[in-house]
Amino acid sequence: MIKTDVIIIGGGSTGCGIARDLALRDIPHCLIEKGDFAAGATGACHGLLHSGGRYAVNDPEAAAQCISENMILRRIGVKCVEQTGGLFVRLPGDSKKFRDMFLKSCEETGISTEVLSPSRALDLVPNLNPSIEEAITVPDCSIDPFRLCMLNITSSLRWGGEILTHKKVVAVIREHGRCVGVKAQDESTGQTTEVRGRIIINAAGAWGDKIASLAGSSVPMTLSKGSLIITNHRLTNMVINRLRPSSDGDIIVPNEAVCLAGTTSITVSDPDENEVDPAEVDIIATQAQQMLPDFEGTRLIRTYAGVRPLLKADGGDDREISRGFRIIDHENGMLSIMGGKLTTYRLMAEKISDRVVEVLGLKTRCRTAELPLEGQEELSGYPLSRRLKSLKNIVCECELVTADDVERVAREIGTRRIGDIQHRTRLGMGPCQGGFCTYRALGIMQETGEMTPEESMHVLREFLQRRFRGIKPALWGDQLREEQLVESIYLGILGMEQEQ
Amino acid sequence: MSVTYDVVITGGGMSGMMAAITLADAGRSVAVVSKGDPVCCLSTGCIDVIADGNSPLESICSLPDNHPYHLAGIDVINSSLEMFKSVMSAEGGAYAGDARANRRILTPLGRHKTTCLVPGAMEFADFHPDEYIHIISFEGMKDFYPNYITSNYKNSGFSIFDAGVSTTMGIARRFENRQFLEGFISWLKGLDIPEGRIAMPAVLGMRFAEDVCNEISAELDRKVFEIPTLPPSLPGLRLFGGLKNALLKRGGHLYWGKEICSVEKSGSQIEAVTLAGAGRSTRVQGNVFMLATGSFVSGGLHASMDAVRETVFDLPVYLPGKRESWFNNDFFAPGHPIEKSGICVDKSFRPVDSRIENLFVCGSILAFSEVMKYGCGHGMAIATGVAAANVCGELV
Repeated sequence: MIKTDVIIIGGGSTGCGIARDLALRDIPHCLIEKGDFAAGATGACHGLLHSGGRYAVNDPEAAAQCISENMILRRIGVKCVEQTGGLFVRLPGDSKKFRDMFLKSCEETGISTEVLSPSRALDLVPNLNPSIEEAITVPDCSIDPFRLCMLNITSSLRWGGEILTHKKVVAVIREHGRCVGVKAQDESTGQTTEVRGRIIINAAGAWGDKIASLAGSSVPMTLSKGSLIITNHRLTNMVINRLRPSSDGDIIVPNEAVCLAGTTSITVSDPDENEVDPAEVDIIATQAQQMLPDFEGTRLIRTYAGVRPLLKADGGDDREISRGFRIIDHENGMLSIMGGKLTTYRLMAEKISDRVVEVLGLKTRCRTAELPLEGQEELSGYPLSRRLKSLKNIVCECELVTADDVERVAREIGTRRIGDIQHRTRLGMGPCQGGFCTYRALGIMQETGEMTPEESMHVLREFLQRRFRGIKPALWGDQLREEQLVESIYLGILGMEQEQ
Repeated sequence: MSVTYDVVITGGGMSGMMAAITLADAGRSVAVVSKGDPVCCLSTGCIDVIADGNSPLESICSLPDNHPYHLAGIDVINSSLEMFKSVMSAEGGAYAGDARANRRILTPLGRHKTTCLVPGAMEFADFHPDEYIHIISFEGMKDFYPNYITSNYKNSGFSIFDAGVSTTMGIARRFENRQFLEGFISWLKGLDIPEGRIAMPAVLGMRFAEDVCNEISAELDRKVFEIPTLPPSLPGLRLFGGLKNALLKRGGHLYWGKEICSVEKSGSQIEAVTLAGAGRSTRVQGNVFMLATGSFVSGGLHASMDAVRETVFDLPVYLPGKRESWFNNDFFAPGHPIEKSGICVDKSFRPVDSRIENLFVCGSILAFSEVMKYGCGHGMAIATGVAAANVCGELV
């Protein structure tokens, strides 16, 4: 049994942010995550550090939070934020009236903008659609959500926080009507760990209502699925937004070597409902082409979808729902934090930690905005020059990951999960999407003893199915060629078969 | 001035090369145009005829009526495979097996692959599961992990040899060296390997490895065989090298590393193709043309968001349906519908719904071939390549 003060449920950006906040306030805590970090909406978003421009017109409160957090995060998270800048582009036919409202709202919210002529915009992003009417700059950035979570967790671990991943909360322990702990079940062994604490924070995002229901409560949420496409290379160095009211396919974000184009918004009933529909891909690709004509013919390497945990509103479009957040006190020892954005994760963590301090009768103030994220000094960043330092024994040719990297990570976290290795090394994130290197990484894990060959066959099978599910909705062009090659390797050369 | 070939074949893979060899043997002047090394270089080098059942020739009869195998017919399938064997044998790369029986060979995952004809170095890859098997791996080789195999075969073991290099091609080059091979054999002798068979990844030399296998086998008194590996695959490269030599010996011409950039037509006849090259282009004239560019992987077909195009002559392509229906949900389910797409031909391998009269089509670009589903890759390419060559040879 683990005893602590604060139990945090959920290892997305909010949960990880809370762990860091509490660590900096010297408050014992234990974070429990059912998968790996950033496994929900955090890892399945477009990796945009919002300037707030997208919400300026309809949701000024969320916009104001975005711009102020944006400025903080670019300061404290140098190694996970890329200061790309962003453009809102207006295409022929897009409303001039909306453009005027946009500029006015940005000014009121404190989002700095500059209106650019088409030729000046094309100087910044040469493959923009040359027929744009104009472009407006905003301070958008690109952010690495997984790295962000890991860095927040580093602060917690260095302080001495308990971090449990791949453990699912299956029960909330209640005594005299109050929540006093949880039972968490290990994903692979099935063993249950009991964790006792004085306060439970429900930061489970889209799974928030499920957690609240374990404590006999509920949280009003709307689940909204958003799908995205990953391109094979970086088509733009700036974030490109469409200057019009929020709708499908209005954003392209550069992220390391690739671009992410999105999104859609479809109400779903289950947080695990994250299948991408080919029709969504068609919409995103067609819309993206309008902003960047080169998008047509660009190789699309994968699709994915995340489920946004939005605050419940009465009726209307999901896009009309505020991106603001709310803290719900269930008055039984559990606090839920709902809504919000990746961009505002730190603020959300600050507000709920303030609440914790109040409940515990302490007097500590939040320091997360002042101190740079710990652990960044060890990060190399993406620069190719650094990656090329060691060309020996490369197992993932697309992302230049070496056998040593795989061995080190496998040992460090003692993982039996290929996904954990992929997150931490970028193995399998390139054009072949792990078609070649997963087989190798699993072979290495057999050698280091992290995994038995029998387990690895099972993991390989599962990996190939999951990979295929992500690739299938956008399967044409060169990616289709790659896919048939990978198919011929596993089914032809290696002799894998459908399970009977 | 430029020569006019009797037949110009676009695509230098299995079907194109076998068609070219057939035509050259029949005394035709033939040119093969290829944009690069074909996809068969990535293959296991084995000739899969049809994976279903024990007897390929029988199983072929039960394939759907529209399968391209039926265009060739059982007699030609059988004789073309025999011809392939004699062509390879003359190149020093004899193949074992015949079209009446399938065999199961060991894969790097410790699974089995059903195939029909195998390179000499894989002759003993079909073994009884009770027999002891000893795997030899090479230090640092990133595409071969013996644990995958030994976990599936309880009666097995493995040893690792340090070849000083770790890449498939690097190790294979080492085996070209006599001293290296002798050193390897004496290391093997020192291992005291139990009675049974010895298997190693297919790295035993750049050229056909049968001789190396035989030498090791004689020295150790054990049956020795190679296990096909992930690309780059030596057995695939050796196979292709053999076909290329065979064609050159017969006076065939190769236009290599050049892509076709334009096609000249006159009425219902194709007259020439122009190849893009660095600096200048090359024009190749022919009386008859053959399309053997393969399916998607090799680039004979190209899929866009909602259509599939044939990339050289822009022939009409059969498509099984809209994009949503191209793939099954299960990665491992046999036969994604997209595999059916390709060129529909008449009984004499001429594309239907096309106004071109001097064009023949063979190999995996043929509609309904479903190579992965039926496990018929090289076999179907050989049979249709030879059959189409027979038909068009008569026309020239």
